[in-house]
Parts: sequence; C-alpha cells; structure tokens
Amino acid sequence: MPVLEFIDVRRNYPGTAAVDGVSLSVPAGQLLALVGRSGCGKSTLLNLAGAMDFPTSGTVQIDGQATRGLNDAALTKLRREKIGFIFQSFQLLPNLTAAENVELPLLLSGQPRARAQALDRLARVELAGLGHRYPHQLSGGQMQRVAIARALVHRPSLLLADEPIGNLDSATGTTILALLRRIVDEEKATIVMATHSAESTAVADRVIEMRDGRILSAA
Amino acid sequence: MIGLFARLILRPLRAEPVRTLLTVLSVALGIAVVLAIELASDAATGSFRSSLETVAGEADYEVTAVGGLDERLYAKLATLPLAVNVRPRMEDHALLVESKQTLPLIGLDLVAHALDARFETTSFEPGLILASATGRKVGEQVTLRVNDHDHLLTVRAIVASDTAFALVDIGVAQELLKRPGKIDRLLIDAPESFESRLKEALPAGATLAPFGARTEENRKMLAGFRSNLVILSYIALVVGAFLIYNTISVSVVRRRAEIGILRAIGMTSTTVLAMFLAEALLFGLAGIAIGVPLGRLMAEAAVGAIGATVQNLYVSSQPGVIALSFLATLKAVIAGLTVTLAAAWAPAREAAAVAPVEAMARGRKDYEVGQQQYRHLAIAAACALAAFGASFAPPIGRRPLFGYLAAALLVLAASLATPAFVHFVTRATRDLLRKLLGVEGLLASQSLDAALRRTAVLIAALITAVAMLVSVGIMVGSFRETVIQWIDSQLRADIFLQPAVPAGGDRFPTLSPDIAGRVAALPMVAMVDQFRAYPIHFRGLPVTLGSGDANVVKRRGAFHLLEGDPDEAYPQMLTSDAAIVSEPFVNKHGVHMGDTIQLPLGDQVRPIRVVGVYTDYSNERGYIIMHRERLLRYLPDPAPSNLAIYLKPGTQVIAAQRAIEAALSDARVLVLPNQTLRREAILIFDRTFAITYALELVAVFVAVTGVAGALLALVIDRRRELSLLRFLGAARTQIRKLILCEAGLIGLLSVAGGMLLGGILSLVLVYVINKQSFGWSIQFHAPIAILLGALTIIFTATLLAGLYPARVALALNPIEVIHEE
Repeated sequence: MPVLEFIDVRRNYPGTAAVDGVSLSVPAGQLLALVGRSGCGKSTLLNLAGAMDFPTSGTVQIDGQATRGLNDAALTKLRREKIGFIFQSFQLLPNLTAAENVELPLLLSGQPRARAQALDRLARVELAGLGHRYPHQLSGGQMQRVAIARALVHRPSLLLADEPIGNLDSATGTTILALLRRIVDEEKATIVMATHSAESTAVADRVIEMRDGRILSAA
Repeated sequence: MIGLFARLILRPLRAEPVRTLLTVLSVALGIAVVLAIELASDAATGSFRSSLETVAGEADYEVTAVGGLDERLYAKLATLPLAVNVRPRMEDHALLVESKQTLPLIGLDLVAHALDARFETTSFEPGLILASATGRKVGEQVTLRVNDHDHLLTVRAIVASDTAFALVDIGVAQELLKRPGKIDRLLIDAPESFESRLKEALPAGATLAPFGARTEENRKMLAGFRSNLVILSYIALVVGAFLIYNTISVSVVRRRAEIGILRAIGMTSTTVLAMFLAEALLFGLAGIAIGVPLGRLMAEAAVGAIGATVQNLYVSSQPGVIALSFLATLKAVIAGLTVTLAAAWAPAREAAAVAPVEAMARGRKDYEVGQQQYRHLAIAAACALAAFGASFAPPIGRRPLFGYLAAALLVLAASLATPAFVHFVTRATRDLLRKLLGVEGLLASQSLDAALRRTAVLIAALITAVAMLVSVGIMVGSFRETVIQWIDSQLRADIFLQPAVPAGGDRFPTLSPDIAGRVAALPMVAMVDQFRAYPIHFRGLPVTLGSGDANVVKRRGAFHLLEGDPDEAYPQMLTSDAAIVSEPFVNKHGVHMGDTIQLPLGDQVRPIRVVGVYTDYSNERGYIIMHRERLLRYLPDPAPSNLAIYLKPGTQVIAAQRAIEAALSDARVLVLPNQTLRREAILIFDRTFAITYALELVAVFVAVTGVAGALLALVIDRRRELSLLRFLGAARTQIRKLILCEAGLIGLLSVAGGMLLGGILSLVLVYVINKQSFGWSIQFHAPIAILLGALTIIFTATLLAGLYPARVALALNPIEVIHEE
C-alpha cells in the first residue's frame, strides 16, 4: 500500500486551479522531489499531502486513509501520528531550546519520555549536546537539523519538506540533503520534498516536475 | 506627513478594529470616570449656597451665634446710626411629608420681599412659599414636619428654583421651630468701613463674618473628601495609561524593521517620534469623544451617592444640577491627553531611536528587557525606600500629599519590578505548569516570559488595578470593622429616640423638651440621657458641639477615651466648663488634652478645658462634648436632639418600644431599638463607600479590557507560532487551552502581585492617608472573604478575556500564515 496517494486531485482557488487533476502514488521508503517554478502547485500539493488542506475534488490518501471528510480530531491524530513537516525557514519556536522544539510534537500528543526521545533524535541528526541551545544560538544548518529532528521524532510515515535547503548556503544544503537521504535509506522513511534546486533532485529516488498545477513529467 | 501617518499608523489600526476599539474604550472609561467624579462632586458639594440666595438676596456680612441670636439684636443693629440694611433669617430643615422630601426651611421677613417679581404671587398672607422643584402648586395644602411636629400649611406662592426649599415669614418660622425670640442669622448690607462699628454693637458670643464665609468653610472642610475621591477617580485613567503604553509599544515592536527602512530612506527620528505620539493622540482624542458624554451620564449616577455621603458625614447640601461645565470638561480633556501622551512618550522615543541598520536585521527584534531588569529593580527598590520615607512625612495643609506620593512611588516601584517578577515566577514554575497544565501550560509560561516587554506592562496595569481594589478594600474593611466595634461600644442604650425627620452632619432636629420627662416616667425606663447637638464653627471650620449627661456617660461607659481618665474627666465635666473632644477634632485643630479652647456660647465666649479625647466615627467634623447642665447655663434651650433610653433589667425591648410609641403618639418621633440603629448606621457606612467600590471596579474593568486587547495583539503577533503548532499536530482545543493558559497566568500573576502591592498600599491608606485626611484611627482588618471573592472574579474575568483572542487564534489559516514568512 502506498504511503501517499493522490487520485485525480483538484484544488481550486477563486479564479485558479492550484492543483489540476493530479494522480500520484508514493510508496514507502521513497524520496520524491517535486520540482517546478514558483506557483506551479508544489506547496499546495504538500499541504494536501499533510492534511492541512483538502481537495476540491478527487482523493488524497495517507496510509490508505482519505483525508477529506475527517473531523478535526481525526485530522489532528493523523498529523500527529503519520506526518512530519520541514519548512524552508526552519520554523523553530524562538523561546524554546532545541530539545524543547524537538519534543514538542510528542508533548502535544501526550506521549511519555518525550525528552529522552528528543535527545535521541537530536543525536541522530548529529546535534548531540546542543539540545539546551536556543535557535538564535544555532547556525542555519543546525536549525534545519533541529527542524528535521522535530519532524521525525514521532516516527511519521510521511515527511513533507518544503524547500528544505532554500535558506541555506550550498555546503550546508548538501549536508542537509545527505541527511535526508540517509534517513530514507536507514529508517525507510518516505519523504516528499518540494524544491527548486537541481542538487536536491540528485538525491531523490524520483523527480516529478509540475507546471500550472499539473504533473508535467516524472523521472 | 499625513499620508505617511495614514499608511503607517492608521492602516494597521484599521486592520485590528477590535483591539483598537478596546484601547479607545479603556481611555474613554478613564476620562469618563474623571469627568463624572468632577461633575458629581461639583453638584453634590457645591450647592451650599442654594438658589435660595438668588431669591432671598445676598449681603455683605452675616451675624451668627451658637444657639441663635436674640431677636432684639435685629432692632439694635437696624437702628444704629449707620447706613446699613439688616435682614433677619431663620434656617433649619423640614420634611415635606407627602413627598418625603427633606428641604431647607427658611424664615425671612417676607414683607421686604413682597414685591419681588420672582414670586408667582404677590399675596403674602401667612402661609408657605415653596420652590417649584417641590412639584407643589399654589393653593395646595401640604404637611410640613418640623422637628417632632407636623404642621398643615397652605402653599401661598411658588418660586422658580431647581433646588427644593420652603419659605415662611420669620415669625412663622420661629413658631414652627419653637425658637421664640431667636434669630439664626442677620444679613447686613454695609460698607467695609462699618465693620468695626458693627462688631462693637454685637454681644461677645456673636460672630460677624463676610457673607459666604461659611460656604468657604464648608468647601474647606470637604476638600479632603473631594481630593480623595478625585484621586480615586484617576486610577482608571492611570490603568488606561498602562494600556496606551502597551499599545504603542506593540506598534513599535511590530514596525521596528519598517521604521528601520523608513529611517534608511530618509525619515528623520523626529518624524518617527511625532508619528507614534500622533497615534497616542488619536487614542486620546477618540477616548475624549466617547469619554466626555459617557462621563456626563456617569455623573448622574454618582451624584446621589456623593450627595448622601456629604449629607451624612459633613453638611446639609442639596445636590445641584449637573452641568457639563467648560472648565470640568477642559480638566478631563487635559488629564486624558496628558496621560495618553506621557504613556506613549517612552515607546515613541524608542521608535525614534531605531537605527536604519535595523531594517537589515533578521526578523523582528524584541526589546532587551532582561538586560534592563536589574537596573529597573534597583530603581524600584529606591522608589520603595522613598515611599517608606514619604509615609512618615506630615500632611501639608491637612492634605496627605506625602501619603499620595508614597502610594504613587509604590505603584511605580511595582511596575518597574514587574518584568523581573514575571520572569522569576514563570521560570520557577515552568516545570510545575507543565505537570499541571500539560504542554500548553509550558508554552504559555514560556510565551509570557519571551514577550516580557508587552506582558509585563499588561500585568503591571492589572496589578495596579487589583492593588487599588485590595488596598481600598482593606481600608474600607478595616474602617467598617472599627466602626462596628465602635458602634457596639458607643450604642449602650437599649432604645434611641429622635425626631422623625432626617438628620445629617450639620442638621440636628430637636425633640420637644417635655418628651424626655414623659419617657422617663414610663415604668420600664431606668434612665434617660438627653443629647443635644449644635453645628458650630471653630477656628474657621465646622464642628459639632454636643451635650449629654456626664453621670450617665460615666456609669454606662458610652465613650471610649483615647486620652484622659474617665474617673477624672467626667467629674470635671460635671463641675466645671470642661469638655471631652473627638479624635477627628483633635487631629484637625491640633488641640491637645489639657488645652483650653475659647468657645462662643450664646452671647458670650467661654474658656473650655479639654479633659479627654474619645474615639468617634459618626462624622468628620469633630465633636466637643460638654455636660448638659453646664451647657444649658450658656445655651438655655432645653430641647434635646435625641434621647438614649436605658431600660430596667428584664424589660423586653420590643414591648418597651411599643409602650414609648404609644406614650408619644402625638409626636412625630422615631423610636429605634439598639439593633435597628446599629443596622442603619452600618447601612449608611456601606452606602458611603459604594462609590469607592464603583470607581475601583471601573479601574479593574479597564484593566481586564486591556488584557483582552493585549492578548489579541499577542495572538496576532504569534500567529506563525500558533500555526506551526497546528502543523506539528496541535489540536484546536490545545490552541484554545494555550491562549486561555496565558490569560490565566496573566490573571494569576496580576492577582498575586496586586495582593502584595495592595497589602502594602493598604498600610499607607489606613495609617497615613486616612489618618491625615480625616483624623480617624482605624484598626487594621483585612476582609479576607470579600477580597478572595473579588480576586476570584477578577481572575475569572481575565480568563474570559482570553476567549475572544483564542477564537481569533483558532480562525487563523496555518497554511497562509506559514507561507507568509
């Protein structure tokens, strides 16, 4: 069963179709890169995949479960258990330490031993010993690692990354891409990554190019 | 400049209409309360010179004497070989029974006024003239209760007047008041050069004073009461100032990068300063536009309460019509604008100091409150120390100016210490909050700590409001408890008897002299003490001169002597011109135990020795108490103001009350058992302080409104964080709980800080401000149950204030917010 499946999905906004008849299946353990110009529908596709947005028509399934029709509690549960988000601008909470940022999803879902799991996750992204630091005490690359650790801490089936290296210099970007690759390889995680960069596509198992809300080509 | 102001200031304000409205509302309420108290106290305390004066005419001088003037003095002065015009006058109060209106009863030489065009009739056959405010008509028969007797009179004329009064011919007045041969006042038109000649013609006990001097004395007496009320009214405005400070600070924090860009492209720092001050000015002007009419309305509600307090504690005065005077409005406008601009000054200056380079800074820079904490703590400590010193300074002109200064310094110290307090408490309770409230508690605590600049100001505002409520609550509670204890010790008699007309601070209706004997003759009565009171003037201030039976007082211990030995004081009162005086009298006039004071009594001035000082809370004018028989030597009017009746052991009070009522069925008297009088006294006390509580509640309302507005600002500024939490799996209920936790924490911190500051402020109020203003010693007593109830309500209100911001937080679209960044 695919981790993520789009079946003839449309997402219309007034005057425009952000996603226009997309069908796509992402199996477990795949790193999928979505490429295309700004406004082509990449981010909308990620939001649909993350159950933060819902199709106007068609079906989005995560681990076989359709997102449309779920109530708020069920959607929250779905996001808590199956989805992790990584953002271009890291989106760390500035008044929480790295460890506190990472453990946040676990605390929100009321899981025990959150701190231990968070520190373990930080160690896996090579930030052992930096858990006490606040975001402003970290470099850009370190901040994105913290964001990745936070996205993975609750062991989601699907990791959604929106331009994860867009705010980083090329050397740091390369390291982050290598880290994402390693996560897929070692932990059999599934990552859908929206990106502009050719470097990102190089580490992907599959690349899908989008234009005007449609899938143009798949490699 | 106007275009820039519209774009940079007005547009963001329009984008947040609810928050803008809440800020304007808080300023408007502050201004409204200040104006309302100004107008209401003007109306309630400024009408001593009733509109009667416009009818009866004014004069250059007035002659008065304790116990009244001999009417022969009228003839003597009128026949002096001087070109003077002398008019006699009787003055007292009466009850218009049909409408239960208490109104001044004035006796004039009506023949002199017969042709006055202001009267609706020129027929001055004996009868009653009433002011149009009584609502009566010419020809009607009305019952006028004077002291303990009803009189059926026909209304002969109506005088247009918006304050009620009754006019009769002087002879009729003497008859109604049972003061034959006496005149209360002689009004004299004479040039200043005649003053010494006139004085020579007067007996020693009579006083010649410029007309209106008594009014000035009354105003002087009320100055303390008024200034305390006015200062209380400013609390809401001060709380509003905190909120203006908070609003402008938020504006500056949000637009820091924007200001940097503007500075980089050529805007001067003065323009930046002017823009933010203009924002504050806008709030001030909008607040004035709403606050002035609101204040006028609130004054209507306040005037009754203030008027009743003035009547009960000070002087008879009918509340006048509330007039929205230019001066009162100007004062409120100036106060509103000054407070608004002063509150905005610091954040506006910070905005002006933003360097162009900050445009390039990453993200929004919050202020380095943490770094300033120690400096602020040091200043707070200095303020607290100065407050401690100021609380020991004496009053200036009977005004506790240093007491007010101490209170203001304490509020300032608390405000400066608030960031450190919030920082310390949120840090210290972080783990506890996480355990108790879950992750939402932790996030709320961290969020408050992280946004100290805004939250601290907000909490300081609420702390100030809560502290004022707590301190005034403790002061009033202490006063109430002290008064109750005093009533219990003072009201020793079983039954009290008084004329069935309202009495007041300077109004002591009398009983017919035979009543005491008739009561004493009843078989169940053991003893009757006759008390007589006269409103007099001593060293330029109104005082009450009273007389009672020193034997009874000694035996029953009705007075608690603070100074003096009862075994020495009362025998001296029996045998010599000695008096005991009340504590407010001592504090007001600087008279001490053992001093001899000169009292004008009848037509002579007598030296009276002070042999004791006793506690008294019945009025603020102060009492001088002499033995009845001694005072009768100088003021031979035997009519008592009231009777204290002691029953024989085993007599049932209710049965005795009925028997006395039956025996006195021909007199209009009130027979009040001890418990009834006690209840009424406490009721009057509670009514007196109702306005105080109302003012406090407005201040708290303003502060809670501020919490709602500021939380809304916090939600809007933290929309990225709140949206991110949704991405990370936060349920909507968790977002709501987070905002409510923040509101609750603000409430808890404010209540805790407010209780602490309020406790300290209450010491200043009880032991400094009250003592110096009114001269009363109050035993400290915290009304714990009432305070806890009030604080629970405030905490709940703060929590509820978080509901709307929580709704706004839930309405955020996480996708839009995250992609904005």
